Amino acid sequence: MTVDPSCLPPLGIAIPLAGACVLLALAKFAPRVVVDTVAMTTAVVSVAAMALLVAATSSGRVVTWVGGWTPKDGSGVGIVLAADEIGAGFALLACALTACALIYTWRYFDDAEAHVHVLILLFLAGMVGFSLTADLFDLFVFLELMSATAYALTGHKIEEPRSVQGGFTFGVVTSLGAYFSLTGIGILYARTGRLGMPQIGAALDGHGLDPLVLAALVLVLTGLLVKAAIVPFHFWLADAHAVAPTPVCVLFSGVMAPLGLYGVLRVSTTVFGGVLPAASLHGTLVVLGIATAALGATLCLMQRHLKRMLAYSTIAHLGLFLIGLATLTASGVAGAVLYVFGHAGVKGALFLMVGVLLARKGSVDEFDLHCQGRDARLTKWLLPLGALALAGLPPFGTGLGKAISEESSGLTALFVLVSAATGGAVLRASLRIHFGLGPPPQDTDSDTTTGDDEKQEGRFPQRLPATMVVAITVLLTGGLLVGVVPAVADALGAGRSASWTEPGCWPRPCTAPRPRRSAASTWSGRGRASRWGLAQRPPEGRRVANWAITYPSHRGP
Amino acid sequence: MTRSARWIVFWLGAGGVGTLIVLALLRMPSFGGLVHPYRDLAVPAAVGRSSPNIVSSINFDQRALDTLGEETILLGSVVGAATLLRPSKDEQELLDRDEGRVLEATKLLGYLLLPVTLIVGADVVFHGHLTPGGGFQGGVVLATAVHLLYVAGSYRLLRRLRPKSWYQVAEAVAAGAFVVLGLVGLLLTGAFLANVFPHGVLGDLFSAGTVFFLNAAVGAEVTSGVVVLLSAFLAQALSVREVS
Repeated sequence: MTVDPSCLPPLGIAIPLAGACVLLALAKFAPRVVVDTVAMTTAVVSVAAMALLVAATSSGRVVTWVGGWTPKDGSGVGIVLAADEIGAGFALLACALTACALIYTWRYFDDAEAHVHVLILLFLAGMVGFSLTADLFDLFVFLELMSATAYALTGHKIEEPRSVQGGFTFGVVTSLGAYFSLTGIGILYARTGRLGMPQIGAALDGHGLDPLVLAALVLVLTGLLVKAAIVPFHFWLADAHAVAPTPVCVLFSGVMAPLGLYGVLRVSTTVFGGVLPAASLHGTLVVLGIATAALGATLCLMQRHLKRMLAYSTIAHLGLFLIGLATLTASGVAGAVLYVFGHAGVKGALFLMVGVLLARKGSVDEFDLHCQGRDARLTKWLLPLGALALAGLPPFGTGLGKAISEESSGLTALFVLVSAATGGAVLRASLRIHFGLGPPPQDTDSDTTTGDDEKQEGRFPQRLPATMVVAITVLLTGGLLVGVVPAVADALGAGRSASWTEPGCWPRPCTAPRPRRSAASTWSGRGRASRWGLAQRPPEGRRVANWAITYPSHRGP
Repeated sequence: MTRSARWIVFWLGAGGVGTLIVLALLRMPSFGGLVHPYRDLAVPAAVGRSSPNIVSSINFDQRALDTLGEETILLGSVVGAATLLRPSKDEQELLDRDEGRVLEATKLLGYLLLPVTLIVGADVVFHGHLTPGGGFQGGVVLATAVHLLYVAGSYRLLRRLRPKSWYQVAEAVAAGAFVVLGLVGLLLTGAFLANVFPHGVLGDLFSAGTVFFLNAAVGAEVTSGVVVLLSAFLAQALSVREVS
């Protein structure tokens, strides 16, 4: 049986939604085993669907007009989903991480009702939709879906004031960012009358960067950068990660925050690519990335609360990803995405191992746990391994991704220092905890957040449940496979031109700004639309052009 | 950071954002202009499918995926709020014996308005494709009607006549119905959320195809969602007590 690839993107959104509805309907009556099974089945089916989609994207972008509203005469009213290797890859990553988180949660949450599972599946639907949509407003809707469910998941441990506080900070900061994005989308719609990203891009092309377009760019990117925890919008991430249930941290760090960067890349190239000088976009993003990486690495070294340490390491890595993406070259983007995938596996495994420590010892404090982990059989060896992988140990995906991104960006020293600092911090903690190395640390700084009053998660006897071992192993192996299997790097276009960035289109942007004329020829509405798979519509250019010619007279004062 | 330093940072940022937004708004198309590319496309598309309410046609047909997302945001928010407001380990639900007195006038008005509100709500939902309104608006009206039981009657009465777990199931079924309708479109025409039902005659109750059914599904989902949401808040305010 063959599946038409164009039905896979909507299925990626519909499957987790359907699973969540079934779970919610059964919540009151079903025993725990049924709840876990339904959630797990949904995640596995989603993984399969997205894997098929990734396979289908290798032969070109998969474009779906939802509701069958295929444009006629060059203009459409519908919503378009466009899956390329990177978007579909992110969707697959979200599904796979969710499956791992659900394996780990098997009999993990104390309360019987299935609310957490419902929220995780709705969260997954949001992430898949965000990865696949090519409509700016739809992007915002799925951003909000991710946020609304993420707030509740963060504050899940309601007995603790810190948990509710972390969820609240997350909620306020991210919502504020989202309002800015919505304002920007409104401004763009007022100017162009379109919501599809390639359509807005085509309408903006050739009109120059006036304050309205600039304001729209700033506003739309703000919400996405908040989601990606880029300095100065990073405040929520550590607080949320410190208190969120550990399996949820895997999703936050592994895919939700990097999705913010993916949104930045998609919006700034597809919507604003034609009006924005590539050099200034590159410069701005690189500066933000360097600040984020430096700040995250510094703060990571200073933490003793293990979950906060991992959270700051995520911030540092988000900075590095941004630098890779900001090159806007095929290899830089592919390297950054590989880095994201490798990092997701490694960081997820690290979070779960810290979760195991929390469940066994009731603490995530580096000082408090000194020498306490000598009896742990699994984490004793895997935690240092994970720390090395975080620093970019070669066979792991983090190593390959880091190598490609640092080469493309030219900031080798920064990449090495930042990844070594984050890996080193985790290695320091793990050697202290499991091997008792070094003298017992003295509690000197009263300002640092300690990790000894976190609530013990889960209840299990001395033996580690097999499900948790499986989840940790799968994640770490996944992080390894991203680097080892050449097909992954190939699929992302590490060696050839990525679909994001035609080589002739973004020629080494940091050297010289693109000449205006060549921009018009390569990024014209027609060229861009055809790369979104809309080339079957011959009069596309004409309609846009007609409207655009009448346009300037309707500009404001 | 001292308090005054915080204010300085805030005003610098607010000033910058404010200037940017003002500069942008000055270049917005002037009010009442003639160029509306989306309107020019959306109105014929809506009328072509027998939906005189263009907004409903956009929400439930042309851009139905957005509405699925928005409805799911509501579902997620309700489930999330119910999760955060659940009684914790050291809390228990205890009902007060004495709930105070309701004025006779309030009672009379409440019970008179209850059926009226229900009818208005149902009307707003089921004529969503014809007249202003739709599932979201009608759903909120219907949920309000249920809570007249509390305003005019008592919290005990509301709890008896509003079994929370049923509403939670109804919420899930209604949200699932939206997805199922989308999948029916996928199965019949190959396009998710395609408008596959007969479009009927412009202005008839059963017209505009899927728009009618999606409106009904959203109406049911919003009604039950708001009821579940308010029940969590009401329980926290009225019946959940800390026990030591």
